[in-house]
Amino acid sequence: MSTDEIVVEHLTKQYKRLRAVDDLSFSVRTGRVTGFLGPNGAGKTTTLRMLLGLVTPTSGQATFGGTKYVDLHDPLKHVGAVLEASSAHRGRTGRNHLRMICRAAGLPDSRADEVLTIVGLTPAANRKFKGYSLGMRQRLGIAAALLGDPRVLILDEPANGLDPEGIRWMRDLLKALASEGRTVLVSSHLLGEMQLLADDVVIVAAGKLIRQGPVDEVLGTMGTGAHVRVRTPQAAELKAALSELNATATEQSDGSLMVVGAEAAAIGHAAFTASVELHELATERGDLEQVFLQLTAGKAGIR
Amino acid sequence: MSLGLVNAELFKVRTTSIWWILGIVLVPLYAASVLANWATFATTDPATTEGASDVQAEQVQAALEPVNVATTMYTSGQYFGILIVVLLAAIIVTSEFFHLTATTTFLTTPRRESVILAKFGAAIVVGLIVWLLTTVINLIVVPPIMSNLDVPTQLGSADVWRAIGLNALAFVLWAILGVGVGVLIRSQIAATLVLAISYVVGSAALQLVFFLLSQWVAEWINKLQVLVPTTASQLMISGTDLPGNPPRWVGAAVLIGYAAITGIIGTLITKRRDIS
Repeated sequence: MSTDEIVVEHLTKQYKRLRAVDDLSFSVRTGRVTGFLGPNGAGKTTTLRMLLGLVTPTSGQATFGGTKYVDLHDPLKHVGAVLEASSAHRGRTGRNHLRMICRAAGLPDSRADEVLTIVGLTPAANRKFKGYSLGMRQRLGIAAALLGDPRVLILDEPANGLDPEGIRWMRDLLKALASEGRTVLVSSHLLGEMQLLADDVVIVAAGKLIRQGPVDEVLGTMGTGAHVRVRTPQAAELKAALSELNATATEQSDGSLMVVGAEAAAIGHAAFTASVELHELATERGDLEQVFLQLTAGKAGIR
Repeated sequence: MSLGLVNAELFKVRTTSIWWILGIVLVPLYAASVLANWATFATTDPATTEGASDVQAEQVQAALEPVNVATTMYTSGQYFGILIVVLLAAIIVTSEFFHLTATTTFLTTPRRESVILAKFGAAIVVGLIVWLLTTVINLIVVPPIMSNLDVPTQLGSADVWRAIGLNALAFVLWAILGVGVGVLIRSQIAATLVLAISYVVGSAALQLVFFLLSQWVAEWINKLQVLVPTTASQLMISGTDLPGNPPRWVGAAVLIGYAAITGIIGTLITKRRDIS
């Protein structure tokens, strides 16, 4: 087992009336971005807070390479976290916010300026936190998480408040960090974004694990793996040609055909040999949102 | 206690505006205290104790002894200085929840008792700084006042220096008390209000309650007045044992008791509480 792997075992959190997290077990692999998905109120934030020793589990445990967060020697050098509902003092500058953490963590003040550069906040370093936009606040949170140059990064809804350019920046940053061999766990409910970003997904609903695995695998098992969208004025001829390839074509409401069981190249060739005119031929990846909604159907909502 | 963490806590105080706002508030309050003490000693005539009970007359006499004038004058500013320190000490804790920085703090230092200990340390340093400032100014401005009152400056008196030392202890103990209350009452507004009201109004109200109880129930109840924290710290720094009052160490013991209880309970609660 890698020393940076996150392992969650039978984690449970019982509040007075609500079982926020219910016997949840999963693991997060190193060198990959893992998306932690679930509807609002699924227990994502509670799980992350238990992982980080902020909330005490009713039972079960979560470890980083076998060690609980509170037992890590220099926690910020192992794990960096950006949590929702975490903030900075309104009257403190961004740079001082980071220096304050450096001092408590035994890191040199110079790290504050280094991470400000990484997240692109250097021009606003001496501005007070209350003058920061939502996007700048998220960047400051990420800067704080990077201070200790950690092997593991945990981010709770990091895309909240970021503009499209910021979201793209975040995606590139997290992918780059994972490609350096770091473990990245990101919670989100922005499924389109997760599909672009995550290698693995852990899907939870109502505090329970619904599905875990590589994105493609999760998509595949739900029968919404890769398919090909075809548009043609001669639908009947194309269907006949495709049946010889053992591929099935179903008509969609917008008049296109969704073909499963054949690659785009094979479909194109079949159409060509059958002299069928094509207007569109596109491979489409499975849709995480669709899978997610199927998996969590009836489990979302206010508990 | 980790010095690095105390340093980080002091850095937090230093990098927001709260310290200089409270500092500016303290300046006129301190000046008023010195002038009020001066006026009290300048106008109280030891002969006018007719109508007072024997004990009260004795107390007035004792308070006007030069050494007791000196201990009061050289510890001027204690009342408001401690008020400011106790508020700042509570804010050192409550601002973490008010500004949602507790998550960052406890992620950086997951051993929460270390964080609370560092906050106690930082509050003590703040208390000692305020004590040092008021004491240095007192040592400058009080000698001329003393000559105006026709009493010797008495800077060679052990009693005076002991009072100044005990004044420092009072600042330290109240700083600890402030952090303890801040941990117990996480709401910034509630904690500062409770502290300020009980410090300013509460002790006077309690003194009235004790007075009535001693008049109508039993005389000995009056001796329990020392359990009021402000009375305890007043008693602790008085120059000599005053007639009719418990010995000074009782005052110190009461304050240490309060500081220890709030500190320990507060630390235990913080260790168990979920941060969300």
